[in-house]
Amino acid sequence: MTTSSFQIEVPADLLARARGGDAAAFEAIYRCFERPAYTLALRMLGDADAARDTLHDAMLKVFRRIAQFRNEAPFWAWLRQIVSNEALMRLRRHEPPASDLDAEEIVDIAPPPWVVADARTLERALARLPALTRSVLWLYHVEGYTHPQIAAAVGKTTSFSKSQLARGTARLRALLDPPMETEPCLMRTPQTG
Amino acid sequence: MSDAHTTNRLTLGDALRALPTLAPERDGWPALAATLAPRRPTPRHAWPLALAACALLVALSALGWRERMRAPATPAATVAHAAASSVMNGTATTATSNTPTLAQLQQRSRALERWLRQTGGDATPLPGQDLAAATEIENLIGLTDVELAAPRQTHALALWQRRVALLEDLAALRYSNYRLAAGGLAVASTQVD
Repeated sequence: MTTSSFQIEVPADLLARARGGDAAAFEAIYRCFERPAYTLALRMLGDADAARDTLHDAMLKVFRRIAQFRNEAPFWAWLRQIVSNEALMRLRRHEPPASDLDAEEIVDIAPPPWVVADARTLERALARLPALTRSVLWLYHVEGYTHPQIAAAVGKTTSFSKSQLARGTARLRALLDPPMETEPCLMRTPQTG
Repeated sequence: MSDAHTTNRLTLGDALRALPTLAPERDGWPALAATLAPRRPTPRHAWPLALAACALLVALSALGWRERMRAPATPAATVAHAAASSVMNGTATTATSNTPTLAQLQQRSRALERWLRQTGGDATPLPGQDLAAATEIENLIGLTDVELAAPRQTHALALWQRRVALLEDLAALRYSNYRLAAGGLAVASTQVD
């Protein structure tokens, strides 16, 4: 169960006006989705300028293709698809190809550190993940994509998506909860007598 | 999958979803609105532009492709059609003894892009079917660019051939549009007269 910030219902008459090329309707839709779209792009790309460009290009595509929107899926899902595709396209241009990793290699059994981490710490750790790994993590956990959907979006296999998720989770855990120094603590033995 | 693993995953999802949504530092709407500014309806003086565009496209095809095409200059739309078919069939245009060099392909690509850019601003809006085709071609060009951006590129020639073929296809669409616009005007003026 996810509650993506994209899940905004757009009134039918607003959509109809946008289809008719009404600039005010375009702006109303843009204002509705500006934050979720920018957030998704920023979380995936990890760069404010690239996220802004992605927002611009994706919204441009949305408005230029809005006449093609068929109401078969919610408008927000259609828009989100365009934003994530645009971000992935940008990612492929700049990100070195990620290697596959067996999802079963990593087993998390320790208590999760993100339960206690504050938002800033989590954001900082997230920013340190490779962009594609972070994207998979975000699409899966926040946007509710399934592994087959992620695989299709990034042009890889389902096991790739799973392995990236496992890798990202483990990496995030390590970043948030670095291993303790193994050096033994020297404790004074209380003197008796 | 263990309960602990599932719990960890769910908890990470909760933590990520709890992160705040973000907005770009600068308002992106003014730039988007400027790009989306309503295209001018086809003016009565569009036919000189259409003629110029056709002439330029024919000239580009004849000059740039001279080494590949031994036969007399072929109409641009036919050249683009052939190129598009080859792309659709998954076989980039492979020449025999007249294979264009990488530099020639890049030069041709630049020329086509320049033409598309120059005519883009004044172009008549494409009809629905053509718009969908143009969007698809633009996406394919984007994908080709992604492949071209990959490090240690070993198929550069084939990829540039594909890029040029796609640009030609796009140009052919625009060319047809101009032709129709010019034809429509001719018909209109005939009816008025």
